[in-house]
Parts: sequence; structure tokens; C-alpha cells
Amino acid sequence: MSGRWLTRIAAALLFISLAASTLPRLIALVNDARSMLPLPYEARRERQMGPWYVSIEKLRRDLRPNEPVALITSRRDIDSAVFANYYLFPIHTRLYLGRNAYRNAAPDPARPAVLVAVNPSHAERTAYDILRDRDLAAGRRIVAEPELSAPMTAFVLPLAASLDGPPPGTFVIEATLVNPNPVPAEVRMTFWPKGLTRTIVIAARSTKTYYDLVYQLYGIMNAGWMRVDSSQPLRAAFYFANRGRGDATLMPNAVADATRIAPAPLHRDTKLFVINPKDSRANAILNGESIPLDPHAFLSRPIETLPAVSGNVYAFVTTRELNGKTDFLWPQ
Amino acid sequence: MIGLAVTLVLFPLAGWSLGRRSIGEAFLFGAGLTGSVLFIAGVLHVPLVIALVLIGAWSVGCGVWELRRRRRGMPSDPPLPTPHSPLPTILMCIPLLALTFVAAITPLNDFDGRAFWVLKAKEIAREHAIDGPSFKAVTLDPRKNHYPILIPLDGAVILGIAHDFDDRQLRWFYLGVLAALALLVRERIGRLVSPSAGAWCAALLVWIPQFSVEAEGGALSAYNDLAIAAFAAGAFFELAEEVAKSAAPKRRDFGAIRFGLWLAFLILTKSEGLPFAIVFLAVGAFVFRKRIASSAIVAGIAAVALFIWRTRIPPGDEEDIIRLLPTIPQKLHNVRAALAAFPRHMLLMPHWGLFWIAVIIAAVLALRTDRRNATLAISVVAAMLAVYVLVYVATAWVVSDLIAVTADRLLMHVIAPSLFLLAIATRASILESRTVD
Repeated sequence: MSGRWLTRIAAALLFISLAASTLPRLIALVNDARSMLPLPYEARRERQMGPWYVSIEKLRRDLRPNEPVALITSRRDIDSAVFANYYLFPIHTRLYLGRNAYRNAAPDPARPAVLVAVNPSHAERTAYDILRDRDLAAGRRIVAEPELSAPMTAFVLPLAASLDGPPPGTFVIEATLVNPNPVPAEVRMTFWPKGLTRTIVIAARSTKTYYDLVYQLYGIMNAGWMRVDSSQPLRAAFYFANRGRGDATLMPNAVADATRIAPAPLHRDTKLFVINPKDSRANAILNGESIPLDPHAFLSRPIETLPAVSGNVYAFVTTRELNGKTDFLWPQ
Repeated sequence: MIGLAVTLVLFPLAGWSLGRRSIGEAFLFGAGLTGSVLFIAGVLHVPLVIALVLIGAWSVGCGVWELRRRRRGMPSDPPLPTPHSPLPTILMCIPLLALTFVAAITPLNDFDGRAFWVLKAKEIAREHAIDGPSFKAVTLDPRKNHYPILIPLDGAVILGIAHDFDDRQLRWFYLGVLAALALLVRERIGRLVSPSAGAWCAALLVWIPQFSVEAEGGALSAYNDLAIAAFAAGAFFELAEEVAKSAAPKRRDFGAIRFGLWLAFLILTKSEGLPFAIVFLAVGAFVFRKRIASSAIVAGIAAVALFIWRTRIPPGDEEDIIRLLPTIPQKLHNVRAALAAFPRHMLLMPHWGLFWIAVIIAAVLALRTDRRNATLAISVVAAMLAVYVLVYVATAWVVSDLIAVTADRLLMHVIAPSLFLLAIATRASILESRTVD
């Protein structure tokens, strides 16, 4: 056999080895393209990328082109955010790995106000508190075995909050409400000073728990105090918890005015809180100064030293230790 | 359709504006020239729109003049070879036509193209600058900020003229690079070896899965490895032409400058382009001798412009290989994986078929019969793969992960010298058989 024929056979073998791999894939690509041909271009992308791209199209309709967007994602899902950035173009986006990264960027004036949460299944416009709630719901409550109070039908929770402090501070109220009675308990919970009321029913001999009482009941991130009125005596435990630090403090279920705070060391960010749980005006006297309080008022002010407090109000002090833990000085 | 029109008209005209060349070479040369001029204009803070208008006017004017001149037929210029080999021509056209159909219909769906390259094209088109807010923003985005942007600049030209940021406008460009590379291979190997060899090499090229149908790096993606392969082919064929001319009577031309321009395109296309250009300069010094200085100056201008641009923008999450090189002694455990990377990927049938086995056999045959050309091609392939092996050893990534996602694409870069080896080996065997007959 001549060299010419050997060359031809070798070239044919080489070509066949390439075509054997390329041809089936080429045919598949052409068939795929043919099946897409009747579809509009965006529908072809929907077919390629599925519901994720549909959610991107919705975002493109909803978002303003000149308003920058924060893409919140996790390290694991970063590719989805990169492609969201690509398909949302020309909208300016900034990528944040997690809600805390966005929160930590608060001092940055360029931090976008509009948030989009992205994962491999979809992208959606959202709000910071929704992301926060998802994170908290996905995590675990700090107090696994709450210390329940004696049965009561009406009491005041002197501090009810759902707030973020300096990172990683994430303040919530972890609540446990136990109905030990053989009949359901109807519980009216009023968040003051906003005056928001929610009524919940706790079935007979059952328990309701909350990882973030204020947000779960009222859908807001705020601070105040809470009045609890139940149709049946309840055993309850409310912890002021810092999910960012993993510490929690049991709070008293107050039933009467109290202002006498025992001396204790004050650290930093010390605040005096005064609440008026009554439906009428009240007077708080701080170091001899009379301060009139509206019904259901919630007053807080920074202090350096422990003041002398009196009046028909409820007062307490919070102070933050150097390690970030919040200490409470309750009235006796 | 505007994207298609710009791709088919502007880049070839820009390529023809600097002299007579085949359509494939004109497209690649024009794409490189447009991107490079815009990049240097951007570094010099010349408004990109003005630079683009000037390039457009120059390209249309000179390109059309060159085409008319060619049609009239200048007696001083030898005719370009027009090999009529029906079978390889048909075989070359089949995948190109199929890919054209697919590119016209299916949207871009790759990773790097959307994550980096086309995104940068969109940003440049929006900001009319190569160091605008998108490049200056320090974010967590894995955007490889310091990657060279010649191809995104070409993309920005298409998007800008089309007034449309949709990537469908760019689908033609990447396919055009493959078609142009095939035509360049066909024409140059046709001239250097034989028209038949050129036609068959071009046909083989477009049937290599890694070039045609591979989702990451192929003609249907928006990766830049195809462009690197094409510009490296341009540079390599300038070298091969020079070797061929050295045997023929001397005729003054601008081969060294053209070689330098191809190297500049390499440098401005991808990070791998700079070491590739250095390898080419080192090999080219033996070919062009003193004239390599003009190539080095042209390539040096591109490299300096790239470094100046990089100092103006914050780095992204890309690896700084130069800084990693001193860490090689601590990473000797990567050597085995790095050395095995290319042999293992060369044997991946779904990506390469028997191509690399054929190239290795061809290299041995070619060394026996056409030592000079074979040495040239082998030295370019070996030196470049050695550089890539060094990068694999030095990388801060998990080396096996890096190899898995890059080795096949890096092999694309040395396609032209590899096809050239195949061509000269077949010529050698045919000549041998004629001698025996």
C-alpha cells in the first residue's frame, strides 16, 4: 500500500473519530434549535433556564432601570447571582453574600436600597426584614428549655423587640406560651406604643413558640412593650435573645408598677427604659425631674449613672458588657 | 440582524484596511485591530465613540479601496490560492452551516461568556469606557476585573452599533471567529503546504468537538479561547510564512509587524496571551532575527497599555500568576497532576477524537522530513504547554479542579501549529510515496 493511501486512511480515521463525537451532538443541537424556532427569543431562554429565568423576567418588569439593586445570595449560590446580574443588565447590581454582608455595608452610601434574593431556583424582590426572618426561621432558638412562669391571665412584657444591633447583634424575643388547661386559651397580645393587637388561640394542653415574637405577630421590626391578656391562665417564658451572639435573658412578666432598680455595674450603651402600662397618663420622676408620660408610652434614654426613679410607671435599665452581652437591671 | 451585519462587514473591512488578505484572516485581523485600537484609545482616554467612528470611517474607506484594488487585480500581488477541493469544502461547510442555524436560534447559555466576557462587553457599551464605574467598583462579584478586554471591546462595538445589550447580537461574532480561523487555516496551510492539505485541515478543525459543539469554549459559547486560538494561528502562520520565504528570493514586507500585531491581539485577549506572546517572540527571534525588534515593539505597546489599564482599576478575584511563581517550591506535589493534565485531556475522545494522537505521530514523521517547519511548530506547542503546566503547578486553586475546567480550552490555543504538523506530515508521506513510485 502506498504512502498516499496510508495517509488517506489515517486522515479518514481521524475524521471519523472527530465526526463520531461531533455529529450526534450537532444533530442534537440542530434539533433543539428547530424545536425552539417557533418560540419568541425570551421564551427560548425560559426553556433553557426554566422558572429561574421567568423570575428574572418578572424582576426586569418590576424594577426601575436606574435604581441599583442589591443581589443577596449565599456563597454556594453565587453563580445564580452572577447570572442574575447578567440578565438584569443594564440595571446596576451589587452582590452581597448573605443578609449580614448587606447589613454590614450599612455605612456605605452606595449600598442599594432595593433587595433581590437570588438562589438557583428563582430570584425575587424582597425586603431586609423578610430575609432576616427567613434566616431566623432557618436557625435554632437559643433557649431550648425555657423557664416557664407560674400560670397567669394578664401581665406586661416590659420589653418586646425585633431589632438589629451593631453586627452581629440580632435581637428578638423568644417566646413560649403553654396552655395547661383542658380548654383552649384565647390570648390577646398588644404591642405598645404602636397599639397593634393580635389574638391567638392556644389549643387545650398545648404550647405555642415564637423565635421572633414581635416580627412573627406583627410583621414589623420595632421595639416597645407588650400586654398579654389570656382567657385562661398561661405559663409563659419570654427571653430577650441576641441570635447574633447566642445569648438570651429571661424577662419578668410584670404585673404592677415598679421603679426601684438595685445598684449594679453599668457598662456601655446603658439605657433607662420607662413604660406606662396604664390606659391613663402617668408621671415618671427621674432624679427629681417629673416627666409626664402618655398612656402606653415607651420611653428610653441613655444614662451614665443609675438614676433615682419613682412614679406610677415601670422602669428598668439595660447595659452592654464589653463582650456585647446585654444585662438587664429589673426593678424590685 | 444588526449584530450579524456588523460582524460580517466591519471586522473584515477593518482587516482589509491594512492590506490584502483572505476573508478569514481579514475578519480576525480586523477584530484584533478594532479591539486593540479601542483599548489603546481607552487607555489614552480618547472617547471610545470617537475612536469607533474613526475606526469605522478608516475601515470602510481603506477596506473598500483595497477590495476594489483587488478586484482590478494588481499585477504586483500574487493571486491568493483558491483550492478547489469539493469534499473537504463540503465537510467544512456542514458544521459551520449547522452551527449558524443553532446560533441564530438558541440563546447563549455558557458560563464564562455570561459571567465575564459578554457582561464586560455590555458594560463597556453602556459606559463608553474601559475603566468606567463597572470596572472601578470594588465588589464581591467574581468578575475577573483584570482580564484583558479585546474581545469584549469588539462585542461592545456590536452592541453599541446595534443599540441593543442582548447577547443575541454577539452570537455571530464567536461563530465568525471559528469560521475565520477555519478559512485562515485553509488559506495559509493551502499556501504553505498544499491547497488540499489546507482544505482538509480546515475541515478537520471545524469537526473537532471542542471547537464546534463543546458548551464551554466552543463556537456556541462566548469564551475567548477560540479567539486566542485564532490569533495564535495568525502569529504562527506569519512565522511559517517567514520560514518559507527564507528559502525563496528576499522580498521586503511587513511580516514582522504583522507578527507583532497578532501578538498584541493575543496579549489583549486573555491573560494567557502574554506568556504566549513571549513564547512566540522567543521562537520568532530565530526566524525574523533582527526584525523581531519591530514585533517586540508592537507587542510591547500592547503589554504596556494593558499594565497601565490594570493599575487604574482594582483587581478582581483572578490569580496573579507572577506572584504565585515563587511559591512553586511549596507546590511540587502539583507537578504530577500538572504533567499528566494535557496527555490525559488529549486522549478525551468526546473532546478531541484521535486528533492529538494523530498530531503526535505527525510530529514524529514531520521531524524526519521537514525538520525546520516541524521544529517551529513543535517548539511553539511544547513551549506553550510547558508554560501552562507551570501555571498548573503554581496555582492556588485545587489543581485537579483547574485542570478539569481549563485543559481542553488551553489545548485549543495550539491548534494551528498542530494542524500544520498534520499537513507537513501528510505532504512528507505523499512525497515519499511519489519517490518510491
